[in-house]
Amino acid sequence: MRTFFTLVFILLSHTAFATEQAEEIFAQLTPSLYQIKLIDKASGEKSSIGSGFQISADGIIATNYHVISSYARHPEKYHIEYLDHQGHTAQVTLVSVDVINDLALVKRKVDADMPFFELSETKPIKGEKLFALGNPHDLGMIVVPGTYNGLKKESFNERIHFTGSINSGMSGGPVVNKLEKVVGINVATSGNQIGFLVPHDKLVSLFERYNKQPPADIKRQMAKQLMASQDKLMKALMSSTWQNKELAGKALIPIIDVPFIRCWGDSNTDKTDALIKAAIASCSLDESTYLSSHFFTGSIEIQFRYMQARNLSDNKFYHLYQQQISRASAGNRASKDDVSEYQCHHDLVRPESTANTDKSINNKSVFCTRAYKDFPGLFDVLYLGASIDKNQQALVSHFTLAGVNQENAMTFTRKFMEAVSWK
Amino acid sequence: MEVTNEILNSVEENEQTTSSTPANLPNEQSEIIIEEITRNHKLVHRHRLTKSEICIGRGYQNDIILSDPHICPQHISLNLSQGEWQLNDNGSVNGTSLENSEGKHQHIHQQKINDGDVIVLGKSQLRVLFSDHQVADTIAFSPFESLIDIIRNPIAVLISIVLFMLIAANISYLNQPTETNISQMFVSAFSISLLFALWPAGVALVSHLTKHDPRIFAQFGISFIFFILLWLSERLEKIIAFNSASNSILGLLFTLLPVALAFSLFWLNSYIGFHVSARRRVAIAVSITTLLFGGSYLLQYSKKPEFNPHPQYNAAIMAPHFLIAPSNNVDTFLEQSNRLFEQATQAAKKN
Repeated sequence: MRTFFTLVFILLSHTAFATEQAEEIFAQLTPSLYQIKLIDKASGEKSSIGSGFQISADGIIATNYHVISSYARHPEKYHIEYLDHQGHTAQVTLVSVDVINDLALVKRKVDADMPFFELSETKPIKGEKLFALGNPHDLGMIVVPGTYNGLKKESFNERIHFTGSINSGMSGGPVVNKLEKVVGINVATSGNQIGFLVPHDKLVSLFERYNKQPPADIKRQMAKQLMASQDKLMKALMSSTWQNKELAGKALIPIIDVPFIRCWGDSNTDKTDALIKAAIASCSLDESTYLSSHFFTGSIEIQFRYMQARNLSDNKFYHLYQQQISRASAGNRASKDDVSEYQCHHDLVRPESTANTDKSINNKSVFCTRAYKDFPGLFDVLYLGASIDKNQQALVSHFTLAGVNQENAMTFTRKFMEAVSWK
Repeated sequence: MEVTNEILNSVEENEQTTSSTPANLPNEQSEIIIEEITRNHKLVHRHRLTKSEICIGRGYQNDIILSDPHICPQHISLNLSQGEWQLNDNGSVNGTSLENSEGKHQHIHQQKINDGDVIVLGKSQLRVLFSDHQVADTIAFSPFESLIDIIRNPIAVLISIVLFMLIAANISYLNQPTETNISQMFVSAFSISLLFALWPAGVALVSHLTKHDPRIFAQFGISFIFFILLWLSERLEKIIAFNSASNSILGLLFTLLPVALAFSLFWLNSYIGFHVSARRRVAIAVSITTLLFGGSYLLQYSKKPEFNPHPQYNAAIMAPHFLIAPSNNVDTFLEQSNRLFEQATQAAKKN
């Protein structure tokens, strides 16, 4: 099954368990560890919490982007506060974000140089013992021991696979090695003992870029990062091999040969009473970029469905087939404030790549797109092709791309449309 | 209202439109026609009298006997003197009033009567007409009459109902996502037909209640033929939608076809069922059509969310034998899809 990431802030978990020994070992790190709170200005109450840790003597605190995302999207509605180990609270300012790697830098006021976490210069080795630190609400600092299990395979944006409990409220907290140097940042959990960390080098480069030149505008910085990331992803997809694969022995479909796109299959051959035999292949990018709790981007979904009528008239087969294709929906979540409504175009299309051969396919093709309101030039795109040239067989080819620019969307669509055919 | 007519020389007529203007006779003014009418001015009874004094009341000695309990035994009398008819109220309990053709109403004791005046006594109404009263022009049979004659033939009605049931059975067959059961299909076809039969039955009932000829076969025949036509127009619309690209003008045109058909159905329903003026008939058909389509549009509109996160597209597909249009190539499709990005950007800027 598909792995669902659960972002680990907001929920105030009380299931954290502290390892007493570890707490003693890392007691000296507590002055540099914070709880980061987002305060809703109107109500004066906190709306979300996470952890953060100081990485410079002059008060730069690193945390997750998703901890402060509400502020980044609506700075007029919130302010950000820290809570230190002594219970002191003060406002901080957001100075830089890396929305792709889910990192953010905030700055607190300091009177004198303060102790801070050092960022490691080396990567951990597989099996190395690491300690995740976090500051969930009311529990104080907790330490979770765990093991480094390398980078998560099949991910486009690198994540460390950490075997150990990352709990709600620990988002944005550091993960250190025995030398007390930061090697990762808590970001997500995938259930029992499986945690994910942002590798420390992402933080290093964000911090370096900040030191060189702090960004003038956070929204513009995010737009730039999203644009660059989609370009990198789409270029990677376009330059990879698109393997022609058979679906149910009747159709040829493209399978993009990259590790971060994973495919699953399903069919209803076990159901003898089904009126339509169906075989489904679906591929997707198992990660998406968190922009706010109602707005995700960066996801890709590809789906193929082969259908064969079983004792049905052509008209009834097409009637049921139409019901299958009439409800395609977006692959990513987005709200009214984030995107426009979809604009769609449909037509009958016979790709020339296979025209006049016996592979030739005639499709009813639908193309829809919606534009991002805050990030001009980025779009969500949806394509649906439904074959209309066989009486008793059908092939549906469908994909959604989230957060791509027009050029990449069109290049991808062209290649996709030309890669689907009958066998 | 019970009517008794004991007058010699009186002639009863039931057909409203067949009375013709008689030739001018020397004694024309002594001949008078008195119609008993309902409050809606519908004819109940007609009396033709050739006397110079006419008594009207509840008593049996009267020329016209009315059984309305609010009328006195000797309520009024009409007298012809010097070529003019005079109305006299004989001191009745509830009085008498006269309503002239312009709709003016006045209480009277003694008054001259003109052609077309309506006498209101008790809760009854009498219209007074002279024999030279101008009648409306003869209405010629419209071409619809011969068409309706064919449609109201029981065999034609039966054929249209059976055809409709077959269509309903086909629709239920198409919609069944599992193995189809023939008897189930026909039960649903029968119940759908029964449901649709409520419309012509309802119209016939209303025309019966309003004292018109119900013409039930004609109503059934015409309604079911139009139900079939509406289904055909829907099929046609789908074939067009299947064969054409977005923003096709033809598609828009065909969405108006059902509206036109519904209007025609309602117009014919009222033509068959009710004797009303042509303008009124159009008004009735327009208002029912507006109510039906405007109402369903309003319902859809009110259900429409403020922001729809799902794409709205036309997914009409049909079996290959309905495909008549040629297909485009990928280039053309992408070129046309490219325009959507500009549209989406504009839509994003709107709010």
